[in-house]
Amino acid sequence: MVRVAIVGAGAVGARAARQLLATAAVDEVVVRDTHRAVAEAVVRSLGPGAVAADSAERVAPDADAVLLATPYGHHLDLARDALIREMPVVSVSDDVDDVRALLRLDSRARTCGVPLVVGAGFMPGLTGVLARHGARSFDTLLEIHVAKMGTGGPACARQRHRALGDAGEDWRDGAWVRRPGGSGRELCWFPSPIDAHDCYTGALPDTLLLQSSFAEVERITSRMAATRRDRLTMHVPMLRSPHPEGRAGAVRVELRGVRRGVSTTMVLGAVHPPAVAAGTVAALAITWLLAGRIHEPGAAALAAMVEPTPFLAELGARGLATEVFEGLDAAG
Amino acid sequence: MIQAIRRAALALGAGAAIAAFLRLRGSGGIPPQSGGWRELSGPDMD
Repeated sequence: MVRVAIVGAGAVGARAARQLLATAAVDEVVVRDTHRAVAEAVVRSLGPGAVAADSAERVAPDADAVLLATPYGHHLDLARDALIREMPVVSVSDDVDDVRALLRLDSRARTCGVPLVVGAGFMPGLTGVLARHGARSFDTLLEIHVAKMGTGGPACARQRHRALGDAGEDWRDGAWVRRPGGSGRELCWFPSPIDAHDCYTGALPDTLLLQSSFAEVERITSRMAATRRDRLTMHVPMLRSPHPEGRAGAVRVELRGVRRGVSTTMVLGAVHPPAVAAGTVAALAITWLLAGRIHEPGAAALAAMVEPTPFLAELGARGLATEVFEGLDAAG
Repeated sequence: MIQAIRRAALALGAGAAIAAFLRLRGSGGIPPQSGGWRELSGPDMD
């Protein structure tokens, strides 16, 4: 029996659990949440094949793979627990400190002989895979700029608020450049119907993950869409409780480089409810782990661990379509 | 007194001119003039 442990029964964890149970590769998902009632409600909605974790263990001890979908701050300890038991791990954390700490577990994961997939959500996650897919079209890739719009569940909304108020880091000519949160406004064009939104710097882990996957690229930036009200209130606690789940969101990946001697720009993107998209990406990463398609031991970004084009094709088959903008040359 | 008012007016005028220049020049990007988004499929996935 193939069993997957899911830690965190929020919007992303519940979606990933549903996706996993819909595949033939998984027989059982063991759902755990700090609020046991939430885990039990998710298990009831999932039906047969889902069980709520009932032990004191934070990670089900007999799972074949572990999905970490908790809010920020818990991923490092949970990943350590799983690695000790030699269980492969997928983390969807979009927190800079979490991601940095997880990447530092690389040698431990190698010693344990299992993969630790970091940043396997919408952004980070799908954005990195899109970047690797697009990078194939360039002879020399010079710049990667990613942006996102929208949030998933309440934990995602809180994390976004926190990230906007904190400084971010851009990768520029071989060095990290610190940028204040909420600065660096740039009008980013997402796929329809999201379209244009002002995007700003924030404490986003995408730059870190992309730099680890694209060491040769000169410039990497990440931004998130925000309104004037978001920027006005970014340094104070959230004034009201986040919505249960956000509406449609989008990600955008802009690649600049040289192809056949000509400077070229490529823009890729996707539109989807962020929690659903993150759950789909995480579930597919788990499926690939179980199938041995992610097998290299160590901690790395999702983009560094998967073959991007087949991964995107399978996401498309699961309803998460990706898009490319055509007409950039005509637009100048 | 008149000298101070002139200086203040000059400073305000210079500030407004610089703000107008920056506003008009802008840095918010140019909307796409042609083309559009299409789904990745077929040859894109080879």
